[in-house]
Amino acid sequence: MASTAPQHRHELETIDLHINVGPQHPATHGVFRMVLTVNGELVEDCDPVIGYMHRGNEKLPENCDYRQIIGYHDRTDYLAQFNTEWTYCLAVEKLMGLEVPERAEYIRVILGELNRVASHLMWAGAFGTDVGFFGTPFMYAFREREVIQDLFEAVTGERMMYNYFRPGGVAWDVPDDFEEHCRYVIDHVRRGIDDLDALMTDNEVFLARCRGLSPVTPEQAINWGLSGPMLRACGVKHDLRRAEPYSIYDRFDFEIPVGTQGDVYDRYLVRMEEMRQSLRIVEQALKQMPKNGPIMAEGLKRVLRPPSGEVYARTESPRGEYGVYIVSRGADKPWRHKVRGASFCNLSALREMVIGNYVADAIIILGSIDIVLCEVDR
Amino acid sequence: MIGDNPWLDGLLRLLVIAVAIPLAVIVLNYLERKVIGRVQNRLGPMRVGPYGTLQAVADTIKLLTKEDVRPHSADRWTFELAPYVVVVPSVVALVTLPLTEDLFVRNLALGLFFILAVSTLSIVGLVMAGWGSDNKYAILGAMRSAAQLISYEIPLVMAAVAVAMVAHTPDGRGTLDLVQIVDGQGRVPYIVWQPLAFLIFTVAALAELYRQPFDIPVAESEVVGGPFVEYSGMRWAMFMMAEYVNLVLLSALTAIVFLGGWNWPLGNEVGPALQVPLMAVKTAIFILFFFWARAILPRLRIDQLMAYSWQVLLPLAFYQIIANGLVLVYDWPDVVLGVLSGAGAMAAIFLTYRMARRPAPVRRPVAVAATSMREVKV
Amino acid sequence: MLGILKTIAASVGIAARKPVTVQYPTEKKQLPQRSRGFPTLLWDFEHDEPFCTGCQVCARYCPTDCMTVTMKDNPKYAEGKSPRKKIVDTFYIDYARCMRCDICVEVCNFDAIVMDNTWRSVEMSRFDRQDLIMDLEALLRPSKTGQLPNPFREPMGVAHSGWRPKSEGAERGGEEE
Repeated sequence: MASTAPQHRHELETIDLHINVGPQHPATHGVFRMVLTVNGELVEDCDPVIGYMHRGNEKLPENCDYRQIIGYHDRTDYLAQFNTEWTYCLAVEKLMGLEVPERAEYIRVILGELNRVASHLMWAGAFGTDVGFFGTPFMYAFREREVIQDLFEAVTGERMMYNYFRPGGVAWDVPDDFEEHCRYVIDHVRRGIDDLDALMTDNEVFLARCRGLSPVTPEQAINWGLSGPMLRACGVKHDLRRAEPYSIYDRFDFEIPVGTQGDVYDRYLVRMEEMRQSLRIVEQALKQMPKNGPIMAEGLKRVLRPPSGEVYARTESPRGEYGVYIVSRGADKPWRHKVRGASFCNLSALREMVIGNYVADAIIILGSIDIVLCEVDR
Repeated sequence: MIGDNPWLDGLLRLLVIAVAIPLAVIVLNYLERKVIGRVQNRLGPMRVGPYGTLQAVADTIKLLTKEDVRPHSADRWTFELAPYVVVVPSVVALVTLPLTEDLFVRNLALGLFFILAVSTLSIVGLVMAGWGSDNKYAILGAMRSAAQLISYEIPLVMAAVAVAMVAHTPDGRGTLDLVQIVDGQGRVPYIVWQPLAFLIFTVAALAELYRQPFDIPVAESEVVGGPFVEYSGMRWAMFMMAEYVNLVLLSALTAIVFLGGWNWPLGNEVGPALQVPLMAVKTAIFILFFFWARAILPRLRIDQLMAYSWQVLLPLAFYQIIANGLVLVYDWPDVVLGVLSGAGAMAAIFLTYRMARRPAPVRRPVAVAATSMREVKV
Repeated sequence: MLGILKTIAASVGIAARKPVTVQYPTEKKQLPQRSRGFPTLLWDFEHDEPFCTGCQVCARYCPTDCMTVTMKDNPKYAEGKSPRKKIVDTFYIDYARCMRCDICVEVCNFDAIVMDNTWRSVEMSRFDRQDLIMDLEALLRPSKTGQLPNPFREPMGVAHSGWRPKSEGAERGGEEE
């Protein structure tokens, strides 16, 4: 270290300026650090450093009973808790060959899609702050996210760590006024998305910042392993809800928004449109949902002991493909438990996207990836 | 003139300013939080005092009693003197700012020139703060502020000069005396004859105040407060005070130069009882505009900011001066002035629209060498 | 410029709306019945003793091992005043470790533990971590003093046809359905 440190000599010389963005920085959305080598305002190199948030969230569940693990999946991606729980439950159900009752599936779809909206709202707010708004989109987004979270709280009792999905169904039935509450939420959130739209989409300053920034070609996106809105913004029409419909997604009519340029603005547009499509799905699901019925698969033992085998289940989480890989050896605990985090894979493209841009743009590009550091570091 | 002694008179007037400025800063600070809170659908401060009116006072006390931290590696004198270098020019500029025909400390024949010249000096303080802090964010912010403030000083001065050229005086046209500029706007304020100069002046003032969308030097999500990042307590409060004093100064100046100050539309005879409120309302309009811009606009990038200044504002400011010169030389009526300037204003709006909407240059990420900068990281 | 004008128009409209702020410590949002605070124990007013028999099923199923429970013979059973042979002796929950997953409530055979759904259990800040370790008295206090009027017990009856353990103590097993 000492030998390579820049030596100050008497004559003038140019040395690289390294800027540590993070781990304590308002724009890194958690404890993420990127070491930028800058030439004036231009980024010449970027070295992302992760791992500040590592809690062993893949190893811990290997000491847990199959139902205890759900709580740890909430904590893997704390903005898309229902989606992560769902993925895990799908994996266990696949392993055990469980049939999930109709009503439980609809509850899962409604909550999962609303969770997607909540996550994208959170993203839109934080992204607005990255672009330089004085917190206004953040407040608009949180105002609506609050409405969604009130619904989640009324259903599950928790605002963040729901622990509500179970292998084979959901933990308990929704309240009686669930449908009414959902419609109220949909109306509110629609209005909130329109507010965000009015504030950002056509704003010239926003356009000047986001359009044409770090465009990614479809080939690059596929090669880098991007998924979710990052991939769709590049024009690749790939959505696991359509490509391999899990649960009951084949019953709904919804569009998959794709971008054309793959730039930051397209990522923004794709997410905004995805929110609207998710609300459409929720409306359809509310219409089709059976009024009552079982919400839990029959004949489950008190302790789940899936047969030996391995399984990989994946779903479309708000950030992309969230996958859970479980190896069971017939015990009440998984022998191996692995998570594929969408934002971890998306983040790996950061260096290529950032180099050659301005420092200010590096922040926006990082924001546009929509990282959740809990999921990156696990 | 209060009393016969000019020294006593001057001292009394200075005292008024010395009391009024901190008060104005406190009130403005409260109002800004309330206004932005409203735009964001919040209440703003509500706890301290009725409707939170004493919040700014509490903050002031907190800042005054807070520890004054100086980083160990900071350049002591540069670091500690920087706040004074920022705050003194702003206050000095207020000396010649007239609120009514005879409410000022000293009216100078070169009042407009004096204010613009003196308030420019605070750039030195910002660069000192950035350099003295020994912080990379601070130095980046200081460089940004130097670039930004100097390039926007030029359109600002040009726009003011354009108005000063054609200002009506008792003996012809052209004056830098602020009282005379106001007196010349008895029936029609100069905003009517000089809309282009008004646009340029307002935008440049926004940039001079480094508020959104021009808050690049202090960008919270990029350079974390820029030159102020290492300051705390009293010294930080001085920077904030300078910011708000500048806000008052530039708003009042805009009201004087373009909206007819205390003169239009009531005339010069109504007396200070009506003139001071009139002046206050006009100043408040611009202050509200600056607050509102902060609430709803994101941040430009440094190169876009410079491009906007040098490619749009500066040529148009020259156009305004040349048009005014032609009008003066050929002694055309004021209507021609309004038409020419109006055409320029339309051009300004069109150019801004074009700049924001034109296809952005595509900067595809290039394949980068796999070398890591880890060895030379500081 | 058009976009910015649209933005300004929208923001004026939004600023005219009613603010959504809830001024928290003075006015509190009503918590839903299912709200999950921290687990507390219920008091059986009929027999004047806790429902909990100290069977430790919650402690075994706790993912974070935040509970410690011991059991003793119930003196009231010998006197014939209570149907419970065994009763809880000591019960400690470390609220600092608890992750409010609700599993203890779902596995409890006797409906003895619930998640506190009042604001009291949400505002749990303490100056010392040790103060967050609750003993039996602290865990029973809300229920005993009537501060827990409407606890949510649904997980027991509805969803857990499979997960619900066989009744170990037959005392209350039959009443629930």
